[in-house]
Amino acid sequence: MPETQAPLTPAMFNVLLALSDGDKHGYAVLKEVSEQTSGEVQLSTGTLYGIIKRLLADGLIVEVRERPPLEDDDQRRRYYHLTDPGREVALGEAERLQKLVERARMKQLVRAFKPA
Amino acid sequence: MSPKQAWPDRCYGALLRVLPFDFRLEFGSDMEEAFHMQRVEVAREDGFPALLRMWSTTIADIVTMAPAEHVSVLHQDVRYAFRMMRRNRGYTAAAVLILAAAIGVNTSIFSAVHSVLLKPLPYVNGDDLVVMRQSRPGIADVHFSVQELRDYRARTRSLAGLAEYHSMSFTLFGPQEARRVQAGVVSAEFFDLFGIQPMLGRTLRVEDDRPNAEPVMILSYEFWRDHQGSDPAIVGRSLRMNDKAHKVVGVLPPIPQYPDENDIYLPTSACPFRSNPRTVENREARMVSVFGRVKEGIALDQLRTDLAAILDAMRRENPQAYRGDGLHATASPLRSELTSGARPTLIALLGAAGFVLLIACANVANLTLARVSAREPELVIRTAMGAGSGRLLRQLLTESLLLALLASAIGLLMAAGSVRLLARFAAQLTPRAREITLDAPVLGFAILCACATTIVFGSVAALHSRRNLAAGVKEGARSNPGRRRWLRSSLIAAQVAFSYVLLIGAGLMVRSFLQINRMDGGFQPQHVLTVGFAPNWLRFNTEHLQHELSERVLSQVKQVPGVLSAAVSNGFPLDPRMSDYQRRIVAEGGGSNELPVVTQAIRAVSPDYFGTLGIPLLVGREFEDSDTPSSPYVVILNRELARRIWGDANAVGRRISIGEIWLTVVGVVGDTRDFGLTRGPTNEVYLCNAQHPMPTSVLVRTTEDAATMTEKLRQAVLAADSENAVTQVNSLEQVRSDSVAAPRTTTRLFSLFAGLAFLIALAGIGSMLALWVKQRTREIGIRVAMGAGPAQIVGSVMRQSMHWVLIGLFAGWIGSLVLTRFLQPVLFQVKPTDSATYIAVSALLLVAAIGASYVPAVRATQIDPQISLRWE
Repeated sequence: MPETQAPLTPAMFNVLLALSDGDKHGYAVLKEVSEQTSGEVQLSTGTLYGIIKRLLADGLIVEVRERPPLEDDDQRRRYYHLTDPGREVALGEAERLQKLVERARMKQLVRAFKPA
Repeated sequence: MSPKQAWPDRCYGALLRVLPFDFRLEFGSDMEEAFHMQRVEVAREDGFPALLRMWSTTIADIVTMAPAEHVSVLHQDVRYAFRMMRRNRGYTAAAVLILAAAIGVNTSIFSAVHSVLLKPLPYVNGDDLVVMRQSRPGIADVHFSVQELRDYRARTRSLAGLAEYHSMSFTLFGPQEARRVQAGVVSAEFFDLFGIQPMLGRTLRVEDDRPNAEPVMILSYEFWRDHQGSDPAIVGRSLRMNDKAHKVVGVLPPIPQYPDENDIYLPTSACPFRSNPRTVENREARMVSVFGRVKEGIALDQLRTDLAAILDAMRRENPQAYRGDGLHATASPLRSELTSGARPTLIALLGAAGFVLLIACANVANLTLARVSAREPELVIRTAMGAGSGRLLRQLLTESLLLALLASAIGLLMAAGSVRLLARFAAQLTPRAREITLDAPVLGFAILCACATTIVFGSVAALHSRRNLAAGVKEGARSNPGRRRWLRSSLIAAQVAFSYVLLIGAGLMVRSFLQINRMDGGFQPQHVLTVGFAPNWLRFNTEHLQHELSERVLSQVKQVPGVLSAAVSNGFPLDPRMSDYQRRIVAEGGGSNELPVVTQAIRAVSPDYFGTLGIPLLVGREFEDSDTPSSPYVVILNRELARRIWGDANAVGRRISIGEIWLTVVGVVGDTRDFGLTRGPTNEVYLCNAQHPMPTSVLVRTTEDAATMTEKLRQAVLAADSENAVTQVNSLEQVRSDSVAAPRTTTRLFSLFAGLAFLIALAGIGSMLALWVKQRTREIGIRVAMGAGPAQIVGSVMRQSMHWVLIGLFAGWIGSLVLTRFLQPVLFQVKPTDSATYIAVSALLLVAAIGASYVPAVRATQIDPQISLRWE
């Protein structure tokens, strides 16, 4: 398990989610986050690599050496892989959010959000 | 970066440079690629406004994350550095102690230099304040008469204001013993001129300064605190001084007082001498100092021209008062007046302290190089693993900076501990000494020292190891030890050179001080005690009463057991309270026998004065009991003055006049140096105390020591009159010693710095050779196995250090010849090129360097060839 267990920021959670279905390079992560959130979360390169540095240091992701075939690759790209602890943390965060939403539902808060 | 990159990508690449090097190394090209893709896509799909938004977010994110990233790298480096320091405790302790000592002495001296020489005066627009001065050839300050002050005040076009000042001592009568107080006698505008606001009450007003005004006084903060119990209701109370009750109208804030530290301040009308109509009307009765404030936009030269023109006008209008006197009027900034005495000494000491810091840096650079060479295999591996030589350089510099900061903290503590001692020392040189404190600029200086030392010793080691690491990685072998040895040896030579310069400086100071101490003051201070006292002049207000008091004091003092002889006088040689005079002496015959005005000491002494002080009688006789107020007036001169008046002719029986009184010379005595051992013999006029009594000192030759006699003598003086205020009891030896306190302390500080530098340099030589021997264990072992004897081994080891020591000595010799000329102002009767000092210091350093080299050399002879061949 990683040493730091501080709650994930939404941006970090989004990065972990983007990597949950396969290894990706930085731009691919940016793009996926934007698409998955319908453009609501737009990461800048600075924010993304700040997050990547922290996730690498915490062991939640690792850099992978296997690269795609040469014609699809840019030598400057680095590919990242979600580690098992990273997956656990992402899962834990998803469960935490789920519980929160359930509580909001029990309190009938969520329904109140729904359009009339 | 590809040359084909579009300009927005190049801009982005440039923007990334605000991030730490390591971050860029790891993610830089990846980020550039991601940005390029993102930019192209946003432009294509979302258009220009979206592109602008993307740019602004990107710039803002990178700029805001950069500081945190830098801190994170620094944090890592600091943690690593602390780990390394813990692992190398010996090195850390040695480096920190050496640097702390050096930074400590530098910070201390800088605190004095900053407070005394650099800080502005603690007055409103202090740089506009000037000291005015009238001088004559050979006499730097003849003061001003009241008439002259009035003329300058009325006619000046360069000064916005003038204030007069002189200092007198008065006796304050309280419920207990009478107390002598030092009073600054000032004109009403004095405090306004300096911009001083009172802490309680008010300062002086013009009406306080008028004749017959109600007597008022202002207390200094210290006097109010120490002698009036910090009484907040003191304003309005009266204190009895002389014959009058003086109303306290104000208390000053705790500010440094210039030009003297006074207990109280009085308006000029309160001083009986200054307000005497004869003084006020006499244009030649010069007794006051004058301060001025220069008008805005007026240069010092304009002011001087203005003053000279006013003096010329006064001379034309009053030819009799200025006949043939060569009087000259000038003005100089108050700031330089207050600090000129301390400047050469403090600058010399700061230079010496700077040298100690350089030696410490060279020494610690050497220690660091030795340690880096021990860590080189580890560093080569880390470089090979991609740590990046820039990162290693940064780490080494962080370690150095931490060491230096730690040393600075200890150095600051040392400086804080010594600041009071330093202020006491500086008080011998300047009135600004009490301003010496450790404040923010001094703290800044200590940190600057730390940074400078890091740059000097840290970067030498770091840059050197960086070069070696690059070579080490390439060759896969240990890197160039020859180059490192050369660097280390030259650092040794530098330490020798610096300590040579310092030792020469200290040697010259010691020689100079010995010369001063050897000076014959013209009197025998051994077993002589001095008692200063002030009678109540209002009761003893005639010469007859004063003579009677003298007799009573003498009679009481002579009854004290252990007193061999005693005399009363108005002062004694090297008496710090004694002022000089510039009276016109006329020798009998008149006209052509009128001498140019020279500085004199005028003493009124009782018959045993010369015997008590051991001043030899050369011709004629001493004063006798038969010299009375009713007998012809007599005078004794010293040889210097007698020769100045009559050459080699016999002075006895001739007559001189001082003022309006004619006196017959009855004797000539030996010369004394009353105003300082380093100054020439004083012109002495000894009046007979019975005829011109001025009893303010008792001198006693005794068989007992000062400690046992002090209280007895004090009681004896009080027994003569209970209103006598006893100001001090001191041995004449102590007075003599105090008079050379400033050069003595300067010499001690210089010697301390030189000693410190000397020890650091010797330790440097020893440790360098010890390392050399360690690195050559195998080679030495082979030579021993091949039959080399101990003498050959010792010789070869010592050759390693000695030729660098000789180079250091030569460089130090050249440096000393250049630098010691700056010591000239603080040297007495010693040339900066004094060959004896150079020879002694060269021999001392050479012998000490041989000694420091000898220990590792002998250790080399004890190397067991069998073990050494297995070494490495």
